[in-house]
Amino acid sequence: MASHPSSSTAVAPGSLIDPRALMALDSLELRARTVVRGFATGLHRSPRHGFSVEFTEYRQYTAGDDLRHLDWRVFGRTDRDYVRRYEDETNLRCHLVVDQSRSMELATQGLSKAAYAATLAATLAFFLQRQGDAVGLMTLDAAVREFIPARCRPGHLRQLLQSLERAPSGQATDLGAALDRLVELVPRKGLVAVISDFLVPVADLFPRLRRLAACGHEVVLFQVLDPAELDFAYTEPTRFQDLESGQLLEVDPASARSGYRARFEAHQRSLRESCLDLGIAFHAIDTRQPLERVLLAFLERREGRGAVVTSGGGRS
Amino acid sequence: MNFLAPLFLAGAAAVVLPVVFHLIRRKTREQVPFSSLMFLRVSPPRLTKRSRLEDLLLLLLRCLVLGLLAAAFARPFFRRPLVLPELRGTIRREIVLLDSSASMRRGGLWESARSKALTAVDAAAPGDAVAVYSFDRQLRPVVTFAEWNSRPASERAAWVRARLGTLTPGWATADLGLALMRAAEELSDASTVKPGEALQVRLISDLAEGSRVQALASFEWPKSVRLTVDPVVAKPAGNAGLQWVSGGAGTAIKVGEGVRVRVSNSADAVRESFSVAWVRSGSSEPIGAAIPVYVPPGQSRIATLPLPGTNVFAGLSEVLLIGDTESFDNRIGVIPPEPAPVQLLYVGTDGGSETESAGTGPAHGPLFFLRRALEGNPQQKVRITAERADAMPRLDDAVPADLIVVTSELTAERVAPLRERLNAGGSVLLVLPPDGGSSVLSALSGVTGLAVEEARVKGDTLLGDLDFKHPFLLPFADPRYSDFTHIHFWKYRRLDAAALPGARVPARFDTGDPAVLELNVGKGRLVVFASGWQPSDSQLAVSTKFVPLLQSILESAGVGSVPTAAFTVGDSVPLDPREPGPTRIRTPHGDLVPLAAGTASFDATTEPGVYAVESTVSNGAAPRVLRRFAVNVDPQESRTQPMPLETLERYGAPSIVVSDRPATEARPANGGALAAIEAEAQQKLWKWCLSAAFALAVLETALAALSARRALTPRDGLQSSDPVPS
Repeated sequence: MASHPSSSTAVAPGSLIDPRALMALDSLELRARTVVRGFATGLHRSPRHGFSVEFTEYRQYTAGDDLRHLDWRVFGRTDRDYVRRYEDETNLRCHLVVDQSRSMELATQGLSKAAYAATLAATLAFFLQRQGDAVGLMTLDAAVREFIPARCRPGHLRQLLQSLERAPSGQATDLGAALDRLVELVPRKGLVAVISDFLVPVADLFPRLRRLAACGHEVVLFQVLDPAELDFAYTEPTRFQDLESGQLLEVDPASARSGYRARFEAHQRSLRESCLDLGIAFHAIDTRQPLERVLLAFLERREGRGAVVTSGGGRS
Repeated sequence: MNFLAPLFLAGAAAVVLPVVFHLIRRKTREQVPFSSLMFLRVSPPRLTKRSRLEDLLLLLLRCLVLGLLAAAFARPFFRRPLVLPELRGTIRREIVLLDSSASMRRGGLWESARSKALTAVDAAAPGDAVAVYSFDRQLRPVVTFAEWNSRPASERAAWVRARLGTLTPGWATADLGLALMRAAEELSDASTVKPGEALQVRLISDLAEGSRVQALASFEWPKSVRLTVDPVVAKPAGNAGLQWVSGGAGTAIKVGEGVRVRVSNSADAVRESFSVAWVRSGSSEPIGAAIPVYVPPGQSRIATLPLPGTNVFAGLSEVLLIGDTESFDNRIGVIPPEPAPVQLLYVGTDGGSETESAGTGPAHGPLFFLRRALEGNPQQKVRITAERADAMPRLDDAVPADLIVVTSELTAERVAPLRERLNAGGSVLLVLPPDGGSSVLSALSGVTGLAVEEARVKGDTLLGDLDFKHPFLLPFADPRYSDFTHIHFWKYRRLDAAALPGARVPARFDTGDPAVLELNVGKGRLVVFASGWQPSDSQLAVSTKFVPLLQSILESAGVGSVPTAAFTVGDSVPLDPREPGPTRIRTPHGDLVPLAAGTASFDATTEPGVYAVESTVSNGAAPRVLRRFAVNVDPQESRTQPMPLETLERYGAPSIVVSDRPATEARPANGGALAAIEAEAQQKLWKWCLSAAFALAVLETALAALSARRALTPRDGLQSSDPVPS
């Protein structure tokens, strides 16, 4: 039985870790552990914990297990006691789709979006893995870079972390194609968490998201943004260079700021409305935001979707 | 505050530039990476006016830097009464150096200089010691320290005034360096300096550009001696000078060709058109047509002045420059040098045969080649007297023989006068005749029992060992001319050099036998050639070495050098001590200076003009002019533009104080300017301006770098830092 943390007691505001301090840790795994450990401290205070456990294997009986789940036939044949999981039990299979394009390299506050996204993905993976869920990973830039199917094996997390630690590359972001590919690769329903800056036309993205949702996946979008992208607080006339295409643009921020903000707001609004239409969770995060808060918002959102989050249960 | 170069203050107008640049938006050069340009549109920086200035501190700093730079270049100073440091209240010991060179003859300069000198003397306190020296090429005392000290303090000024009253500028050029050096040495002489005395050299001069200062370069100026320059300045009217461009020694002026003169004009001249003409000594009336010369200021032109008549040098030996404002250097004497007379006595078997020289003799003998080698040289007037060997040589005092050439055996009685001449200081060149010469060599050298024999030569021999340090061979010392291997010798006479004590052998054959031998006999010198130069003996006469070799033998005999006929005032004119009889010199003004017999030089060339060396024959006949020479004002003296004081400093003079003391008469027009220069040099405010500008520039750079860094990073807090709510 999985339970959900209470937002009021889960994370004390004073205990939040500044992302910049967190990034001082070299190891991605250590970062993820740090976030989850701090989070779990708050979690254990809650009477409910976990949100999804769907098992498909045998587990040795341990004292305290409900005897209803004991597989007597195996016990009779081999004289060993196993707790049996029924095949039709639903397992949470989560796929993390992480954008590793060059646009994620922007770092005006000393912390790049890519590093933040990788830590967020690692944190989610660690958190889910800790609950025993299967976690997969797809990294992408102009095309799909790597795809790791969802597994729950020991050592799987390390593989995920290695993939996440790779430096951003690529001259473009083709999120739509990656999502299409994900639909083909993952036929079973599950959780798909897309971590990107989503600085792509919504019109291109929307059909792919709809297809993903139509396949029965629960989709969560984490939009990682740099504060400079939010407020465009440049002052001097500058030549801006596109991180992906290398294209140069002469811009006088004083005159261009209002237009930028208007277009950016329109984009965000469009993205948010599209998600609302499709019932997709959408989290816009800037890199100054503590990761615990993101994780908490994510969990709260899932709590709100109680029907989606199903607890694992056995059938004797 | 005053400025030495106020025009540079116009540079301060450049402060407008930073203000304008601050008002105009800077076109960006920075490149900033950004995640995506999808929300950005091109908006090039506007080059429009801003309504208000930004970065006021930077703007202020930039304006200040420019203003300070402009001020530094304008050389600011505070005009205040000059305080001559460390001289006040101490006992002065001062040498007043009064320039008496020819350029001081310009209008009013001498009077001005003299009154400055008197002012300096008047200013002396009773305890001070003042000496006055005048200088041109030499330093001459007018009043020495000893004379000054010997007079009562009350009489000194009047006494110096009387001394200076008789002083006039000379005609020589100014050796400023030498004068300063000597004066400084005299002042700093440890034996006369008392402790606590302030030592000063006061230079009163027009500081003409042509003054020589090079002597200062090798002189270490004593630290205790201060140099005060009290310049006298002429009206800037410019000056043109005249110089004879001689074609070198021995170049005779030919009728029809004319004389070339260089007319040079000073850079500050106001006149450009001049003319040159022949004049008689002491007269300014042009003879013949004057040749117009156009010389722009600061340049020089060569003009050719044709000779007006055939007999040029009968009193017509001076060229006058017409049209110049300053007349002291407008007249030059033009006396071309005359060829040196060379008397040569030849004694040989082919002597006395005049037909030989026409080339009709049985063979070309030594005389034939000797005539061709020596005659026709423009620098020498060679007279060869040829005597036959069987005739008694005519040798007496009336026929001076600078060199006696003997090429044949002579009987003892015929050798005797030659030997006497040799003993008396003459020079004899003995060419050993074929199959002999031992008796004549013995007789001439005074060494008996000499063995001379014809050498057995297989084919030919060459000169093997040459001593290029010997005066005979010195002209061939250069490797380009030292090749004697193409001169073949077929016959020569062997003699033992060791048998002749004191003999020097400049050249030997490759067999080791002497080829040329030199021996001092009595006061004279005997040169022995072991082989003849005629083709029957060797190829020497037809080689390129023959003429230079004879010339160097002649020169070492003391004849053949050409006396120069152009001198400058103060030069020592070499005289020929062999001039017969008592001689005297007639100066341009007609004064007669008797010369003692054997006088080697004449030093009293104190005025320009044409001097004549005359022979005063005791029989009362008219004096015969032996030689004339011209003494001119040094062309350097025509460069009358004031030299910058930095020139003196560059040559090692100490930091110079320019005196601002007003002269008793009309003060020079730029006296105030000189005071300003001195005040500025003392205060050196420009250094402070530059230092401040530099410091502000560093500060500005730091501030600009800081603000640029700020501008390149987006500012926090411009908008709410909260993330977009999801």
